[in-house]
Amino acid sequence: MMLTDDVELLDGMPIAYVKSINALAVADLHLGYEGVMSGGAALLPKVNLSNIIKDISAAIEMTGAKEVIVDGDIKNEFSKVNIEEFNELYDFIQFGRSAHISLILIKGNHDNFVERYREPFKLDVYRQEADIGGYLFFHGEELPKKMTAGIKMLVMGHEHPAIGIYNQIGFKEKLKCFLYGKYMGVPLLILPAMNYFAGGTEINNEPRDSLLSPVFGKVNPDSMHAIAIGYGSTMDFGKVGKLRRLKA
Amino acid sequence: MIEFVDKPFSNSDSLDVLNSYVREWFTKNFSELTPPQRYSFKLISKKKNILIAAPTGSGKTMSAFLSILNSLFNKSLEGKLERKIYCIYVSPLRSLNNDIYRNLGKPLEEIYKAIKKDKGIDIIKGNMAEVTIGVRTGDTSQKERRQQLSKPPNILITTPESLAILINSEKFMENMKDLEYIVIDEIHELANNKRGVHLSLSVERLQNMVKNEITRIGLGATLYPMEEAAKFLVGFRDGKPKDCLIVDASWSKELDVKAMSPVKDMINSSNEKIEDSMYKEINDIIKASKTTLIFTNTRSGTERVVFNLKRRFKYGEDIAAHHSSLSRDSRLDVEDLLKKGSLKCAVSSTSLELGVDIGTIENVIQLGSPKSVTRAIQRIGRAGHSFRAKAKGEMIVLNRDDLVECTVMLDAALKKHLDSFTVPMNALDVLAQHIVGMSLNKKWNVDEAYGVVRSSYAYSGLEKHDFMSLLDYLSGKYVGLESRHVYGKIWYDESEGAFGKRGMYAKPIYMLNLGTIPDEVAVSVLLSSSKAWIGNIEEEFLTRLKPGDIFSLGGRLYRFEYARGTKCYVSEAHTNAPTIPPWFSEQLPLSYELANEIGEFRAKMSGMVLEHTGKKRNSANRMAKDGVYKALKSGKIPKDVSDFLSLYPIDSNAKHAIFSYFAEQALFAGAIPSNRFIVIERADMENADTNSIVFHSLFGRRINDALSRLAAIEVGRMLDEDISIMVNDNGFILSVGKSVKLSDKTIRDAISKLLDDDIELLLKENIRKTELMKRRFRHVAGRSFMILRNYRGWKQPVGRQQVNAQILLKAVEEMDPGFPVLKETYREIFNDVMDMERTKEVLGRIKSGAIKYEIIKTGSPSPFAHALFTFGHADVVLMKDRQAYLKYLHGLVMKSIGLGK
Repeated sequence: MMLTDDVELLDGMPIAYVKSINALAVADLHLGYEGVMSGGAALLPKVNLSNIIKDISAAIEMTGAKEVIVDGDIKNEFSKVNIEEFNELYDFIQFGRSAHISLILIKGNHDNFVERYREPFKLDVYRQEADIGGYLFFHGEELPKKMTAGIKMLVMGHEHPAIGIYNQIGFKEKLKCFLYGKYMGVPLLILPAMNYFAGGTEINNEPRDSLLSPVFGKVNPDSMHAIAIGYGSTMDFGKVGKLRRLKA
Repeated sequence: MIEFVDKPFSNSDSLDVLNSYVREWFTKNFSELTPPQRYSFKLISKKKNILIAAPTGSGKTMSAFLSILNSLFNKSLEGKLERKIYCIYVSPLRSLNNDIYRNLGKPLEEIYKAIKKDKGIDIIKGNMAEVTIGVRTGDTSQKERRQQLSKPPNILITTPESLAILINSEKFMENMKDLEYIVIDEIHELANNKRGVHLSLSVERLQNMVKNEITRIGLGATLYPMEEAAKFLVGFRDGKPKDCLIVDASWSKELDVKAMSPVKDMINSSNEKIEDSMYKEINDIIKASKTTLIFTNTRSGTERVVFNLKRRFKYGEDIAAHHSSLSRDSRLDVEDLLKKGSLKCAVSSTSLELGVDIGTIENVIQLGSPKSVTRAIQRIGRAGHSFRAKAKGEMIVLNRDDLVECTVMLDAALKKHLDSFTVPMNALDVLAQHIVGMSLNKKWNVDEAYGVVRSSYAYSGLEKHDFMSLLDYLSGKYVGLESRHVYGKIWYDESEGAFGKRGMYAKPIYMLNLGTIPDEVAVSVLLSSSKAWIGNIEEEFLTRLKPGDIFSLGGRLYRFEYARGTKCYVSEAHTNAPTIPPWFSEQLPLSYELANEIGEFRAKMSGMVLEHTGKKRNSANRMAKDGVYKALKSGKIPKDVSDFLSLYPIDSNAKHAIFSYFAEQALFAGAIPSNRFIVIERADMENADTNSIVFHSLFGRRINDALSRLAAIEVGRMLDEDISIMVNDNGFILSVGKSVKLSDKTIRDAISKLLDDDIELLLKENIRKTELMKRRFRHVAGRSFMILRNYRGWKQPVGRQQVNAQILLKAVEEMDPGFPVLKETYREIFNDVMDMERTKEVLGRIKSGAIKYEIIKTGSPSPFAHALFTFGHADVVLMKDRQAYLKYLHGLVMKSIGLGK
């Protein structure tokens, strides 16, 4: 669906496309997740990277995008670079090359050491936030800093938004969603997690104070639109406040 | 061949198989042979496989062991008794193990003493060693374990889990090579669950590793069908069950039981009066008997009864509670006091139902329905310890459904109609564990291993591709080659058709994680708004909750919203109607057979009662002249009904209550549900928020669980509306909003659609995202070693396991919907939690017309629906709220049929 004249939310995918800069925006890939988990007591088979590549390839084909902006948390482990993680990161970068796109990384809270890859892989890595064609990309664990007049939209990740819908037979449907609203008068788009395993935080069932990002200190989540993704389509479900205690 | 033996051997024939020392010891200590012993001494001496069903106190232990002791002493006398294990005894209860150890210690010591006295110095010359015995459980100390290795006992007493560890201990297996006997006790506790399935594989693996054909002896209380239990015990060879003889001495104990109602009128008596007379009744029995054992069905009920008896009748330490939430020590204390005879009364939920010797109980009281004939017999059979004594028991019931249930149940017990057990078949998670275990033993040819597995009853029909899918899974085939060292638990070479051990971690993983009982944990209940802690519920209860369900906790009502890990989030519910009783997960489901017999009883009663009332309902004129109407008013029961009810073991209060229950239903609704007739009642009460469709489907909860979900899905699809469910053993209610237009045709269409749909597929879609699925997947993934409960020596917290399980579930679904761990989760839910096979059977009978249904409209619920409407309140012991609501509903019925005030 078209969010604005310039921004499209690709149907059924946690991916936004910005026409004027011909770029895809995604967040929270958490590559290497299975490897990290398998160091604990659950042997998680790998499905995350292949799903991400599948989705991004389809998105490139649909839009002809030349850039992919990863809005933070491309990888999972905080403190170290795990070998499985490195392999996946490498595969992902290779995929970008073979698809002829340039990768732009915004550093997220899980992305320590990611700058090491800047040189060998010739990546654009932004430490904090980046104004790309009037769109301010930042991860979301801190407030945006460069709120200049020319900013058309703020784009962040970090929160892994989703909505939860229950029905009486005990069936729960959880859908990843974009959140769209205004931050200090500027449009704010929050991207859902790209990670396959991150079901997401049920924004409509979660009290405001338990959300992660400090932007929710200034923006009431209830005032934002939840644009849900599922079953091949992307649909505006209306304001989160209306979806509280939602039953199918 | 599986054969019943019904001709006992004579006493002298039986005793002749014993050598003089053993015989002398036996005749000195026992005055006669008990019924099972008249079969077993001789048959076991001939090394026959044998399954013995006999009640507690019938000399079961000796019947199994005496011939074994005899053969061991024969070896000793010949100087051939070595330091080896010749006999293994397995019981699911650790406390039982200690009992057996003590009980066998005495004969071993005394018989050897006699030999010593007789032989003198020849004992040393002839190398006549003492017959030894040892216990090996999780409690056994390291020191003892080492001693058992160097000096193995001739008889080893153990648990299923410890046995599984022992067969993977190379050194221990050296000592077991000459095993001759295995005794499996409490087989009725094992045959119907995964723990028993696990044991059955251990036994077949053991058989595969020893020299001789092991003689198998099974002991148990009543269970049905015995033939299947026998096959479970002995296993299969070349696709056919091995030989086994069955000795059914379970009926050697006579039952003297009665269902009774503490008051004449169960509806109109005040709560106080009902409680007063119930406790008075109980107290009278306690006072008149030496020791009384009370069963309450729930732990909270147990506590409440103890509290009330102490408060009302000034009992002190001579009354005690015994249930599984109490510490092990306090339970052992109670058992000890019972054995010594120093308790006047013990109150238990289920924990004293079987096993351990608790001395002489004179009387058993059962409060409310125990839900199964077998269980009723087991519990009442606790009374009268010696096999000659009659087992005396009373069932006190407090509502009319329970009354009908218990009446039919006791009748079935006296007629020896037991409910059947089913073994979980082809459980892939248990098998996964054993394949890992087997891989540690040696390198296997795939077909050979498959053959060993198929010799277990529980896997006798295992498909080859399921076995192969486990090998694929365990060898890590589902991940890329480079990660297989992380995922693989076995080594498997497809081209060679062989599998075996992989790496150094496989063994500790197996040893630390084996077993079938999942780690459970208390779930914290928090308010979703403030995150304030309210209390705890059990995880099993959480799996039963659907969002929107209302339950009581600490005296207040809460609405379930969602759960995460081991936390459950709720909001306060401003209503007075809980939808699910707090003990729902504790309550055992009504068995299918019993439900069927109750349905049959209903059919017979309905034939007679409707004859008297005519089928038209609510016609006041007709009723004024009607005999039933008069009978209801005067309290006199028509002769045919009275004659029929006299065939049942009930008192006159109970008879009258049953008659009025059926007569009210007939007059009010004109239709009485039975096993051949489902009444679908549309009870649209004016002052309720929802309209209700009551399905009077008396098939037991495991079937109703499936039926209710299916009906809700179909009706929901027709209406495009959400539907809430309430379910119990006697039926279920679907509730829809008042504004929803629902015609009879829609219901009929939904049913005919259901009869044609693929119900497994429908249910799968419905269950996929429920708490039940998430929790069960964790259990299955744990048993399959996909989630490790213990990793490198660290215990993983349950909450962590659960979060991991949910992530894993997602990955596995993405990867392969036929993944064995996923497949097993659905199997467990469909076959162990629900009863898919019989659900299909019931639907088939509806389709063929063998079960008919009729839709009726009632302004308020009919009497047979009252239990469902008051279900959330239902609690046998504390029933104030329920009683008030029930009275209100009953008032509506009586007003409608012209008998109200």
